[in-house]
Amino acid sequence: MTLELRGVTHRYGAERALDDVSLSLDDGELVALLGPSGCGKTTAVQAIAGHLDPTAGRVLLRGADVTDVPPEDRNVGVVFQRPTLYPHMTVGENVGYGLESGDLAADRVSERVDRYLELVELADRRDASPGSLSGGETRRVELARALAPEPDVLLLDEPLSALDRGLRARLRDEIVRIQKQTGVTTLFVTHDQEDAMSVADRLVVLRDGAVVAAGAPRRLYESPPTRFVASFLGRSNELSATVDDGNGSRTVRIGGTELAAAAVPDGLAGAERAAVHVRPDDLTLTPGARSDGWSGPSERSDGPSEADQRPIELSGTVTGVRDVGRRYDVRVEVDSGEAVTVERHRDGLSEGDRVTLTAAASDLTAFPDPA
Amino acid sequence: MSLVDATRSATNSRRLPPLLVFGVLGGILLASFALPFAVFLGRTGSVPVVETLLGTASRTAVRNSLLTAPVATAIATALGVPLAYVLARETFPGKRLIEALVVLPLVVPPVVGGAMLLSVVGQFTPIGAAAARVGVPLTDSLVGVVLAQTFVAAPFMVITARAGFGAVDERLEQASRSLGYGPLATFRRVSLPLASRAIVAGVVLTFARAIGEFGATMMVAYNPRTMPTRIWVDFIAGGIDAVVPLALALLAVTLVVVATVQRFAGVPTVVER
Repeated sequence: MTLELRGVTHRYGAERALDDVSLSLDDGELVALLGPSGCGKTTAVQAIAGHLDPTAGRVLLRGADVTDVPPEDRNVGVVFQRPTLYPHMTVGENVGYGLESGDLAADRVSERVDRYLELVELADRRDASPGSLSGGETRRVELARALAPEPDVLLLDEPLSALDRGLRARLRDEIVRIQKQTGVTTLFVTHDQEDAMSVADRLVVLRDGAVVAAGAPRRLYESPPTRFVASFLGRSNELSATVDDGNGSRTVRIGGTELAAAAVPDGLAGAERAAVHVRPDDLTLTPGARSDGWSGPSERSDGPSEADQRPIELSGTVTGVRDVGRRYDVRVEVDSGEAVTVERHRDGLSEGDRVTLTAAASDLTAFPDPA
Repeated sequence: MSLVDATRSATNSRRLPPLLVFGVLGGILLASFALPFAVFLGRTGSVPVVETLLGTASRTAVRNSLLTAPVATAIATALGVPLAYVLARETFPGKRLIEALVVLPLVVPPVVGGAMLLSVVGQFTPIGAAAARVGVPLTDSLVGVVLAQTFVAAPFMVITARAGFGAVDERLEQASRSLGYGPLATFRRVSLPLASRAIVAGVVLTFARAIGEFGATMMVAYNPRTMPTRIWVDFIAGGIDAVVPLALALLAVTLVVVATVQRFAGVPTVVER
């Protein structure tokens, strides 16, 4: 275990920024720490780097407890959210800065500066002033500076947040490439689920200072453990569901429409009320209303496995169509009055149209007893 | 015609340079600076400046000022910069009190400041008497002059340097710590260079204030004479014309020192592009 947090809690006065956070990173792993603004991500970075003393809990690096060790003795590389290149040094001096604190000979320092500037493809900017760099170049130099002393752990605190979209995607790929190339254990902190999902081997989701989910990005996306994770990891529609076990047979209603229990995802078993999540791109729109309400597979069902294959249908009315360039976001009010968003790649719908929504039961995630 | 149009056309019809009023107000102030300066300098012709300055009394005063003001500035810098850094970085109980203490010498009239100093280091106080016994009198001595100058001028150093450190992003220091430098090395290699312009400005202000210091110096060390105290003595004896030579010398020394400090100590805080 290269990095481990054990029950780290931190309070700023009465306000709790981190609440009993435990996580660990294996050697060479790239883990994304994901959460909305103000969820305590930066506090976690500060605690790992040693720039703050956590109120409780321990920080371990390579198995050694470093909770009371000052930052200069931790061998943790940090790229901060805001640029921190030294304006009174050249690009090369910035990259070499962390090497001069050690006992490396001057020519070795120079050689290593070249090597890391090459790694970030900025070898020709060695004598430039930090002020003359573009936003993306600044980030890459900071990456080189953090990596040059060959840290045990690299912490990237929202490294992409100040960049525009295209640059963001490119630098994201660059970070992944550099991470693979150097093999440095990396904690990538971000509020952007797309950044997190595309770079990380593993995700740790933080909410209000506490870890609410951890695991492989794809698994968390497809079967989120909580409603928060469902809505935070990508866009999600929430519909209310009720389960009625009266008359010996189960009746399940989602979005006000009745369907058979067999068509319903697992999470609903035993609950009376639930929230059902479905991703906008898992819904299909067909113009025209369904004739008979929900076409659950009730009468025809032979078993849950087959039921999973059958689509669930729900009718509603289009309340708006937004052209967002590569797709249309269609807002549909279903018959219960709840609104859902559907991603669609064709135009041709307008406000007031009656439509049918279709989704595979397996694309629905149910959370019992919503608060 | 709408009201907006009416207003707009009225404005256009008497279109004035936009900051004219500001310029006029500022101009009045500038005139109040420049006029006395020019008229005073105009008297130069009628006074034997060089002869007066070559006299023993003047030379002693110039020498004393040149000995004391740099020392006071050095002390204010050596003690003020660390204090400024602490004030810029730390929060602690009683910080407001410390901040109030720092500006106290600016708020108190220099003569009163001198009286306060006297009450601590005066000839008949325990500290003053002890110092005199070991041969370092704290009043009516160059040491006394330095004390008075430091008391009055040091706040400029603390306030200016503090603003300079405050403008350095704390993350830059954290980055340095994470790159293997301890707090002192980080201060020396990051905070100090990045705040150097503010510190140089503090040095210049402190020196200018120290070399021109009169009120507190007069109370603590009327003798030996510095340029300002000599100017006072000359004025009492011979009126305005009598102070012209030393006043010019004081002005010249201050200008030369300020220019030199800014020229050589004005460390660039940014690498040239």
